Amino acid sequence: MDPTASLTQPALWPLTAIVFLPALVAAFLSLPIIPKAREEFIRWTSLLTMAVVFVLSLWMAWPQLFGATGPAQFRLGEPGMQAVVKLPWIDAFGIEYLLGVDGISMPLVVLTTFLSMLAAAASWPITKHVKAYHVLFLLLVTGMLGVFVSLDFFLFYVFWEVMLLPMYFLIGIWGGPRREYAAIKFFLYTLLGSVLMLLAILMLYFTSDLRLLSDDQLIAAHVVSPAVEGAARADALTAVRSAKNPVHTFNLLALAQLGQLPSSPFAAAEVWGMSLEKWAFLLLLIGFVIKVPVVPVHTWLPDAHVEAPTPISMILAGVLLKLGGYGILRICYPICPGAGLAFAWLVCGLGVVSMVYGAFAALAQKDFKRMVAYSSVSHMGYVMLGLGVWSAVAGNEYRWDAWAQGVNGAMFQMLAHGISSAGMFFMVGVLYDRVHHRNLEEFGGIFNRMPVYSGLAVAVFFAGLGLPGLCGFIGEVLVTLSSWNYSRTLAVISAFTVILTAAYILWAIQRVYLGAEYKGPHGDHLTPITARELAIAAPLVFFAILFGVAPQILFNYVTPTVNRQVETLADWTRRVHDAPPVAPAVAQRGADGVGSR
Amino acid sequence: MDLSSQLPLLLGLAWLAPLASFVAILFFGPRMGQHGKNAAWVATAAILTSFVLSLVAFGGWIGSHPVQAVSHGAHGAHDSHGDEAAVGAHGAGHGPAAHSPIAYSGDWYTLYEGGNLKLSIGWYIDALTILMFVVVTFIATCIHVYASGYMHDELHDVTDHEVHLSGGGHLHRPGRFPRFFQALSLFCFSMLGIVIAGNLAMVFIFWELVGICSWFLIGFYYERKSASNAANKAFIVNRVGDFGMLIGLMALWGALGTLHFADTTTTAADGAATTQPGLFSLVRPAAGGHALRVPDGMVKFAAAKEVAQIAADHAANPADAASEVASKIDDWRSMGMGRWLLFVAGVGIFCGCVGKSAQFPLFVWLPDAMEGPTPVSALVHSATMVAAGVYLVGRFYPVLSPDVLLVIAYVGAITLFIAATIALVANDIKRVLAYSTVSQLGYMMLALGVGGWSAGLFHLVTHAFFKSLLFLCSGSVIHACHTNDMRKMGGLARVMPWTAGTMLVGCLAIIGAGIPFVIGLSGYYSKDAILAQALSFAQANPAHWILYVAVAGGAFLTAFYMFRLWFMTFAGRPRDHHIAEHAHESPAVMVAPLVALAVLAVVAGWTLPGGFGLANLLEQARPAGTESTMTGGFVFGGLTFPAEHESHEGAIHVTATLTAFTTAAAGVLLAAAMYLWRILSPTLVAYMFRPLYRFLANRWYFDELYHAVFVVPALGIAKLASSTDRGVIDKIIDGLAWSARQLAGIDAWIDRTLVDGLVNATANATWHAGLELKKLQTGHLRQYVMFIVVGTVALFVLASLLFRTTLAG
Repeated sequence: MDPTASLTQPALWPLTAIVFLPALVAAFLSLPIIPKAREEFIRWTSLLTMAVVFVLSLWMAWPQLFGATGPAQFRLGEPGMQAVVKLPWIDAFGIEYLLGVDGISMPLVVLTTFLSMLAAAASWPITKHVKAYHVLFLLLVTGMLGVFVSLDFFLFYVFWEVMLLPMYFLIGIWGGPRREYAAIKFFLYTLLGSVLMLLAILMLYFTSDLRLLSDDQLIAAHVVSPAVEGAARADALTAVRSAKNPVHTFNLLALAQLGQLPSSPFAAAEVWGMSLEKWAFLLLLIGFVIKVPVVPVHTWLPDAHVEAPTPISMILAGVLLKLGGYGILRICYPICPGAGLAFAWLVCGLGVVSMVYGAFAALAQKDFKRMVAYSSVSHMGYVMLGLGVWSAVAGNEYRWDAWAQGVNGAMFQMLAHGISSAGMFFMVGVLYDRVHHRNLEEFGGIFNRMPVYSGLAVAVFFAGLGLPGLCGFIGEVLVTLSSWNYSRTLAVISAFTVILTAAYILWAIQRVYLGAEYKGPHGDHLTPITARELAIAAPLVFFAILFGVAPQILFNYVTPTVNRQVETLADWTRRVHDAPPVAPAVAQRGADGVGSR
Repeated sequence: MDLSSQLPLLLGLAWLAPLASFVAILFFGPRMGQHGKNAAWVATAAILTSFVLSLVAFGGWIGSHPVQAVSHGAHGAHDSHGDEAAVGAHGAGHGPAAHSPIAYSGDWYTLYEGGNLKLSIGWYIDALTILMFVVVTFIATCIHVYASGYMHDELHDVTDHEVHLSGGGHLHRPGRFPRFFQALSLFCFSMLGIVIAGNLAMVFIFWELVGICSWFLIGFYYERKSASNAANKAFIVNRVGDFGMLIGLMALWGALGTLHFADTTTTAADGAATTQPGLFSLVRPAAGGHALRVPDGMVKFAAAKEVAQIAADHAANPADAASEVASKIDDWRSMGMGRWLLFVAGVGIFCGCVGKSAQFPLFVWLPDAMEGPTPVSALVHSATMVAAGVYLVGRFYPVLSPDVLLVIAYVGAITLFIAATIALVANDIKRVLAYSTVSQLGYMMLALGVGGWSAGLFHLVTHAFFKSLLFLCSGSVIHACHTNDMRKMGGLARVMPWTAGTMLVGCLAIIGAGIPFVIGLSGYYSKDAILAQALSFAQANPAHWILYVAVAGGAFLTAFYMFRLWFMTFAGRPRDHHIAEHAHESPAVMVAPLVALAVLAVVAGWTLPGGFGLANLLEQARPAGTESTMTGGFVFGGLTFPAEHESHEGAIHVTATLTAFTTAAAGVLLAAAMYLWRILSPTLVAYMFRPLYRFLANRWYFDELYHAVFVVPALGIAKLASSTDRGVIDKIIDGLAWSARQLAGIDAWIDRTLVDGLVNATANATWHAGLELKKLQTGHLRQYVMFIVVGTVALFVLASLLFRTTLAG
């Protein structure tokens, strides 16, 4: 490809700016010329950076707001990858700087920039090493955004790791009394996940072979850029075709195309009696579910949350947990559909176990923040269940819409939980900043002391409770309804969770906000909510209501992409998985049109 | 504008008006006059607007669909028994002139759409919807007016004598007048949302909203522990019902892919209209004369294995598979496939109604809900919330199979009996009314369950009038006496003549007083209809005679406890002179609603010459296929549900009316003997039946039972889950970290003792590595970064060696 042409790709600078602007500012802030003492300046720089990044991401996601629609901006209703950026990076291994957004990642990117902006605003109470804090915070943001927009598996992995270190420090240095334990635990868990994920990445890479793909598929997967035409395109295709050895790739779209081939190399290869596809799926799944997290690999979460400072808790619950769900949806299922079908029970089962276990554990907590942390475990269980309900099988006449509803519900749940959990952690933080304890038994009467704050807090907690009209409801109900077609047992257990959720949330509200008088220490510090806090809480409540009342705002983004992916996989189930043995040539043709286009 | 576009507009606005009031009071409440005094006017104006709009809609309706006496003969001739044997549930009425109700439906708004699945906000408007709108908005208006007087304490600072602070003394707090009306408005909005809902998903949404509004209102005095406990209990117990309802929704949604009541027609861009059948026509297709059958979707769902086999056989040609599946459906249906699913769907949805309508075993929340201010109790207990459950059973009626109906009937019978017995001994005036509500709701459920669709809903409406009246009267009494305890009342009729008089009307209405066969209060008609239908059912199904006994016995108990209440409160001499001296009649703003409701409690059941009346209005909405005798049932054996009009005629009607009259009269007489004439001493009776009395006074120990069986184990499991995390999972993690350190230690030891002497340089390096590893727990970060980098490279090399060789060829 012509290198000058590649620098004029319309989305190159917008996407790059969204991802790397925080890192750039972090580098700037870390310069010695910025005195540590200029704390206000550092805080404002960080907040403004995030505001700029948020507006940039909004510019991409919602062009109508800014008037004209450019080629780098998101087109609603188009299911495929948009705003693709493709530059060679490490040629020796075919690693590329390949970015792009679709209906799954675009809303998550906006959620990330939005929550990061609020978290930056929520970082004012941090007074220890302000400079270092904001440098790490901005690095963290770059890592998260990078994961969501990477289409190259290696790049994805790099961003994944980039995200971990700042998070480790942010918990370990700015955390509560047991911060070191919590940080180490977070790190060990995630490290285990990363190592397994890396193994899976390499397995897939070395098994992949681009030569198996048709010309159309190569173009659809951006192995050969669709922007390149004529002779250049033919040359690029020939280059792949004429290779003597297998052409490996880290391209996620191409890997998905390969995984869905009737003669998928991942399904064909065997390692220790199990197909490589299944190994890869399981290894990736472990890596991702640690992030989600699901029971039994969830115990890092309560500790990390309890120790982390408020803004970091917001980011952790609001964005970091979504990376796991995103990874499963973006990587596990499309690349390893055979394993996805075979292990659907595992994904759903983990989801349901997390829902129930998390809810029960939340019921037992005495620490306010720990309770909210366990509610996250329970709520993210819905995401797992929704992603996993592969009901498009023969007995259901390969109807894909119930499963699509589950996946759409899971996506919605991720976004809604991003709003509500960040809100809940912030609300806990507001109280903690005042009275410096989180013991549920030592609150009470907050409603009369801080009425505005309490009103907003109750609204956010109700969103977590899954009350209709607030964002938590839609995802939960879609996921629960969709699960019936996959498994009656799991569906009934998941429906049972609604009782537990109501119990732990209402009980917490009763103990903290209701009642006649405050029972804990520092009662005189219970001052009304400040303007800064209101500026953080109000938008969260606003969006919790908006998405609850008008879920179509999000579904407009999510549904086309999710439906296409699910439809493709349902079709794959019928044509490839359940297919009668046919001549290879026919099977090859049948794979056309699979994956993104 | 024709009716089909007029009605959704009118009722839609009537539905949204309280929402507007809610939003207005939410943001500007405290600024509405002094202490938010005008919030009451905003809320009242909103609900009055709703009432007027509902009336206009009602006028439009009866203009187009005049309410006339229904001729029964026309349907009777077509009674026959279904021929689809072994389907499990089937109805009859294969007449050419099969009745179908007049209804308008459509969608306003889509929440989710994917493939063929669609969740939306829409309307389903028939005579029942409009009737409920008028009733709900009317009663709510009365209650708003009443509350603007009753809640005046909240207009200034309040001293809550029920809250004892740790430092001694009582709680002083600012009044919350606007907050009350804000919640009341949201409550009305949510209830009207259920009534107008065009699909079950929307019902569920507003179902939950009603729940949370009740949480706000029951917990209005949230400083009181008892109030916040009651609020939580109400919501959580309701959620138990909702759990069942969710299962019902899943069973319907999973198999049928729709939750719409009526058929929906979508017009594509090219003008081609496609109709997707709704639940009603899926379960009772017009082609089959609206006879109940298991819908195709459920049959297919139950036959998933067979479908999979067919798909495998025709893998090459999916179209063949589809047509073969379609051809097999009738066979599968006749084998009984899917009938369990229909049963589960029906029972599931009914579970939700059990929660909301406070039926056994979930009725425990309703009496505690008395913690809310009395106008709230009046609203919750009459036209909203508890009415929602009965309304939904009525609305969802076409989908309920005979077995589900029997379940409903028995749940209703058990509820009405248990609640009535508890009401016999309760001394709190509001609790007596609360249990009476539970009992009357049991009546309605029983009526619906024995095939009395119109009887059950008729009673819902008449009950709404007299129960809201009774509650507001009790509120007036409490307002005057500042106590709920009837043992401290007595002789209040003299000081509170209006309250006493209107409450007497309410009591007479609830016991169904009237001159047999001539005229009566509203309850007379609705209760008679229930008795008659229960008798008719008991005759057709002798095995279920107990249902009729429950109804008749319940009538006796109702009469007794209601008049016990009235006599204890208003008759005789005052028991507590302090209270009697301070008692006074309530202000006009509170009495006026009482009078309005009393009038309706009298006349609501009347049918004007020409046929205009509630019963005939309801007939317009009668679900298709229920106008004639229905038979079926596979779980509980063959059941016959006699057509409702049969119970209006002849011997059944006479027997039922006389039974109702005698039992009610006996109940009143017994109450008079004990509490008015004092021939029998209540204390002596209580002493004689001491164990029974204690059992009833402790409400059958349900609260204690549930606490021991559900609450304690749930908290136990919660503790277990929490300690598993710390005690097991974390121990394993910590153990792993510990082992890593030990390994590093061994490594270091080997280095020192064995390797050290051999290759000093290497050993040094390894030793350092060992030391670094040893710090795994101490928070040094560089190691991990190193670990990742080294690990990455190692894995890269390993993997390329492993796979390149296997796949290169």
